[in-house]
Amino acid sequence: MGVSKGDEVFVNEIKAGNAAAFEAMVLKYQPKLMSSLIGYTKSRDQAEELCQKTFIRVWQKIDSFRGDSALFTWIFRIGINLAKNDFASSFSKRSKITDSLDQNEHDVPEYLSPETELIAMESEDKIMKFIQTLDADTKTAFTLREIDGRTYDEIAEILKCPIGTVRSRIFRARQFILEFINQENIING
Amino acid sequence: MDKDLEKLSALYDGELSYKEIQEGLDKMHEDQGLKETFHKFGLISELVQRQTKQNTSKLLFFKDYLIKVNPVMSNLFTAAATVLITLIILYQFDDDRFQVDRESSLQLSSAISSDEAKNQLLDADQNIMEHMIHIMQSNASHSSQQISKNWIPVGFSVNPTNPNQYSNGRNNLFFHLENKQLGIKKVKYFKANNNWIYLIPLQDGKLLTAYGDIPPSVANPMIQSIYQRN
Repeated sequence: MGVSKGDEVFVNEIKAGNAAAFEAMVLKYQPKLMSSLIGYTKSRDQAEELCQKTFIRVWQKIDSFRGDSALFTWIFRIGINLAKNDFASSFSKRSKITDSLDQNEHDVPEYLSPETELIAMESEDKIMKFIQTLDADTKTAFTLREIDGRTYDEIAEILKCPIGTVRSRIFRARQFILEFINQENIING
Repeated sequence: MDKDLEKLSALYDGELSYKEIQEGLDKMHEDQGLKETFHKFGLISELVQRQTKQNTSKLLFFKDYLIKVNPVMSNLFTAAATVLITLIILYQFDDDRFQVDRESSLQLSSAISSDEAKNQLLDADQNIMEHMIHIMQSNASHSSQQISKNWIPVGFSVNPTNPNQYSNGRNNLFFHLENKQLGIKKVKYFKANNNWIYLIPLQDGKLLTAYGDIPPSVANPMIQSIYQRN
């Protein structure tokens, strides 16, 4: 699978030096990368360090991204390679990120404290159960997007409804979930 | 405000025009609240995708358990689990248009993403599951019975090396004819990865299964035509 239409725009903008696009890409993929790296390293601290290091490397190497794979696959590969390098180095676990920082004009957003980076495990069940209570139209559109990775066009074709309806259903699902998260005080972001 | 957030949600999915994406990125860059919401979209996405994967793993773990307890049961489970991993929604064809079968859709998504997966699986119609798995796993050749030429969609022609495969140069389609209808009264169709499976009960009591990468928009007129000519 190649790069998606949306990510292609992100990549082109980042290649052109658009800091806002880079920031958006970090905000979008940081949770997924953190989760994968925690799974790989079994250490939250190490995952955080690697996550930051990965996005710095992404910024540096974005010109070499050819779009043969999905953007996250490419980011993930960088993260895993960095993790492997860290494992290979006996002192790397305690080391700070120092490589090539001077070449970066854009730091990884710092407002994300470790506490807010991932949803607490004990809250995950609550959220998944809440998603099950969404009305069928909303849940179906959201599921097709998030789990099946369908585009809005494809979802509109499957559900036989206008693309604007798909867009508002997916948004509505996210909005309901966010309201639930705020209500339950799950994230203090 | 909601309109802005709806646009942000579409931006997250990469479903805006190039110009709108650029505008959205600039707006978000200046607005901490929008950044946090965008990041939370990422958190939700990560959670939903990971939980779905974990539940799939739980199904496979349950299969390992069943192998020890009941080998026959585990075979059924293997088949059902395979379908649950790949199928997202079950649809039903009603009158002259395709509709999502709400009840079935809920049942399957519930099975995918809840701890009740085991019960959902055991309650599922095993005959249909097994039939579909058979079709999906052996699409190379279904030489069971003669397929009527009237059923082939316009623009499709037979593959000379495989008489059960039809192609229009872009999409491929296989047919399979079964003597039993497996209790299916209306056309049902399933999405399995990039392929679709259409179960079409015929008036003579047989079940025609069409399997391939043809979307409902192509299959719909084909099924209408089959009913008109059958």
